[in-house]
Amino acid sequence: MIKRKQIAIYGKGGVGKSTTTSNLSAALSDIGYTVMQVGCDPKNDSTNSLRGGKPIPTVMDTLRSGSNDFEQIIHEGYNGIFCVEAGGPEPGVGCAGRGIIAAIELLDNNGIIDDYDPDIVIYDVLGDVVCGGFAIPIRQGLAEQIYTVTSSDYMAIYAVNNLFKGILKYSGSGGGLLGGIIGNSIKSLAEKEMIEDFSNKTDSEVIQYVPRSPTVTKCELEGKTTIEGDPDSDQAEVYRELARKVINNQKKFIPKPFDVDALNDWGSTWVSRILLHQKTSSQGIQDDGSGV
Amino acid sequence: MSFNDNGGVKNKNNQKEEFTSHELGKEHVEAPKYSCALGGAYGTALGVYGLVPLLHAGLGCGLGQLFGQLYAGGQNAGGPVGGTSTATTGLVEEHVIFGGEDKLRKLINASSEVYEGDGFVVISGCIPALIGDDVDAVIREYKNDIPLFHINAPGFNGNSYEGYELFFEALIDQILTPLPTQKGVVNILGVVPYQHIFWKGELLTIKKLLESIGLKANIIFTEADGFNKLKELPQAEYNIVLSTWNGHRTAQKLEEKFGIPYITFPSVPLGPKQTSHFLKTVAQKLDVPGEKVDKFIKEEERRSYRFIEYSGDALLIARPHSYFAVVADSNTAIAINKFLVNEMGYLPDIIQLTDNPPEEYREEIIKALTEGLTSTIKPEVVFEPDAHLAREKLRDRPFQFLFASSLEANSAPELGALHVTVAFPSFNRIVLTDSYAGYDGGLRLIEDYISTFAGPL
Repeated sequence: MIKRKQIAIYGKGGVGKSTTTSNLSAALSDIGYTVMQVGCDPKNDSTNSLRGGKPIPTVMDTLRSGSNDFEQIIHEGYNGIFCVEAGGPEPGVGCAGRGIIAAIELLDNNGIIDDYDPDIVIYDVLGDVVCGGFAIPIRQGLAEQIYTVTSSDYMAIYAVNNLFKGILKYSGSGGGLLGGIIGNSIKSLAEKEMIEDFSNKTDSEVIQYVPRSPTVTKCELEGKTTIEGDPDSDQAEVYRELARKVINNQKKFIPKPFDVDALNDWGSTWVSRILLHQKTSSQGIQDDGSGV
Repeated sequence: MSFNDNGGVKNKNNQKEEFTSHELGKEHVEAPKYSCALGGAYGTALGVYGLVPLLHAGLGCGLGQLFGQLYAGGQNAGGPVGGTSTATTGLVEEHVIFGGEDKLRKLINASSEVYEGDGFVVISGCIPALIGDDVDAVIREYKNDIPLFHINAPGFNGNSYEGYELFFEALIDQILTPLPTQKGVVNILGVVPYQHIFWKGELLTIKKLLESIGLKANIIFTEADGFNKLKELPQAEYNIVLSTWNGHRTAQKLEEKFGIPYITFPSVPLGPKQTSHFLKTVAQKLDVPGEKVDKFIKEEERRSYRFIEYSGDALLIARPHSYFAVVADSNTAIAINKFLVNEMGYLPDIIQLTDNPPEEYREEIIKALTEGLTSTIKPEVVFEPDAHLAREKLRDRPFQFLFASSLEANSAPELGALHVTVAFPSFNRIVLTDSYAGYDGGLRLIEDYISTFAGPL
C-alpha cells in the first residue's frame, strides 16, 4: 500500500479547472491508482464528466436532510473513481464558504476517506479564494500539495497570484504548499512563455502545459473526459503525462507572489506581446527578423 | 507586552509599569461593561411594553443577553416577552450555509399567533449579517398583516449603546410617519434601558418633574402602551437628550426627518442644582411661564436641602470632604461627579468611563467632568472599558468612596474604599424603581453612600 496523496487544484472559474481535474483523475485511474475527486464549488459540477455528464447529490444535500447515511455522498464514476461534491447554497443566499468547511469536516471526521481508502484524493476548489472557507484545503494542510490551473488570461494569472498569497500566508503554520502550475488552453508559444515567466518570477514551477484542443470540448459535450471519450488522442496522452508527473512530484514550493502594482506592470508587458503575436499570426505580418 | 504579578502591563523592556487605555477599536477588552449591538437593541425593545422582540440570531444569543444584558442591568428579568420567553430563530450550521430566511418566516408566522403584541421587531444578529440574509425582504412580505420592523444589529457592529441608536434608526426609517406637533410634548432620549441601570426610575422621575411645570414627556419605556408611544415620537415639540452622546444620532435623525429640534444635557439631572438647571433650561426653550417653574423649583429645593441636613452630622463628623472615584458610564459619572463636588463638597480623584464613547464626543465628556466644578481639584479622566485595567488604575490613590459597577465591589476593601454600585453591570444590586434622578435622587445617593459607613450599631 502506498501512502495516500492528497492534493488540491485551484483556478479561476472558467479556466478549465474541473476539466483538467477530471481528466487528471481519469488518467490516474487508468494508470492503476484508486482516486477520489472532491468538488469544492457550490455549483457542484466538478465530477460531471466522470459521471456521464450527470450531477450527483452533494454532501450539503445529505447535511441538509439531517441524514447520517454517508453512502449517499460517494458516487462511483468512470473506472471506479469516487466522486464527491461538497455542494452549497443557491446563488445569493447563505454562506458557500461555510458549506465547504462543513463538507470537508464531515468527510474528515467520519472517516469516510479512510473507509474508501483511495490512493489519491483530489480537491477541486473554486479559484478565487474569496474567504476562509475556500482556503480550508490549504489551511489545515489537508492537501499536501496545491496545484493551480491557469490560462494566459491576465485575470486567471491574477487569481493564481492571489492563491499564492494564501499559500504563503499559511506556509508557516503547516499549510499545504505549491506543487506546481498547470498551464491550460495554450494556443501559442507566447502564451506559454507568459506563464513560464510568471512562474519564474514567483519562485514556482510549471508542471505541465495542456494545449487547447477541440477534442476536450467534444468529449465534455458527450459527458466524458478526454481519457474516456478519446483515449488514443494526443490530448489524452497529455493528461496521462500530467498524471504521471503529479503522482511522482514531491516538490513543495513556497511561492513569492507579486504585489498588485508589480503584477499589473508585469501583465501589461505580456499582454502587449501576446496581442502583437495574435496580430502577426492572423494577418500574416512578420514582426521581427528578415521575413523573406 | 507582558503582565506582572499585579496584572499591570509592563512595557517592552520590562522596566516601567504602564497602563494602556483601551480606545474604541482596540482588540482586547477584559470584562467590558456592556454587551453587543444586538444586546442593546434587544434591551431597548424590551423597554417598550407591547413590543415583541424576535431574535434572528445564532443559538444561544438570546440566552447570552439574558445574563449579559438583562441580569447585568440591575438583576432584572426579561419580563413577559424577554429572556427565556423571547422567540429566536436559533440559527445553526444548516442556516449558515443555506441561509436563515425560511426559518425567520416560520418564526414570524408562529410568533404573531402566539404573542399578544401591539408590534413586533426582528433583531438580526451576526449570522444573518455575515451570510447576507435579506431580512428586509422577508419583513416586507408582512407589510399589510403585522406591525413589524427590522433592526440590523450584528453584534460586531458595536456595543449596547450602538444597539440603542440602531433601534431608533430602524424605527424612524420603517415605522414613523409625520404627525402634527403637540405643544408642550417632549420626547426623552439618551437613557438606554438595562444599560443605564436606573433607567426606569430615571425616566419616571423626569416625566414627573416635567409634568410639574406643565409639560408632557414621552419617555417611551415603561409606559403601558409603549408601541403607541413609539409611533407618537414625531408629534413632539422638542427632543430632550439626557446624555453627552447616547441618543444624539436618534435626535439628529428625528430632526432631519420630522424637523423636531433637540436640547441636550450631559446627563440625567441629579440633585437640586442639576435638576433646577434642567427645569429652567427646558422651560425657557418651551416657553413655560417663569413663575410656575420658579415656584416649583423653590419648593423642591427648600424641601430637598432641608432633608439633606438630616445627613449633615454623619457626613461632617465621619467623612467630610472625602476623595471619591467613579468607574461608570459617562451619563452616570457626570451626574455623580457634579453632585458630590458641587453640593456635598467632596473631592474628585479619578473618573474612569466605561462606555467607550466615539472619539468625537470625548472632548465634551471631559469638559462636562472637569468644568463648572466648585472644587479647585479636578478629576483625572480616563476612558477605560476594560474591567481589569480600570481596577489597576484605582491602586494607590486617595479616594475613600468608589462609585462603580458590581465588578469593582470585591476590590473595594483592598483599595481601602467604600463601594456603591451605580453602573452596569449591577449583579449585586437589584434595581426596580431606584434612581438618582431629580431632587430626591440626590437624597437617595446620600442614603446609599453614607449607609456604607454610618453605624455600626
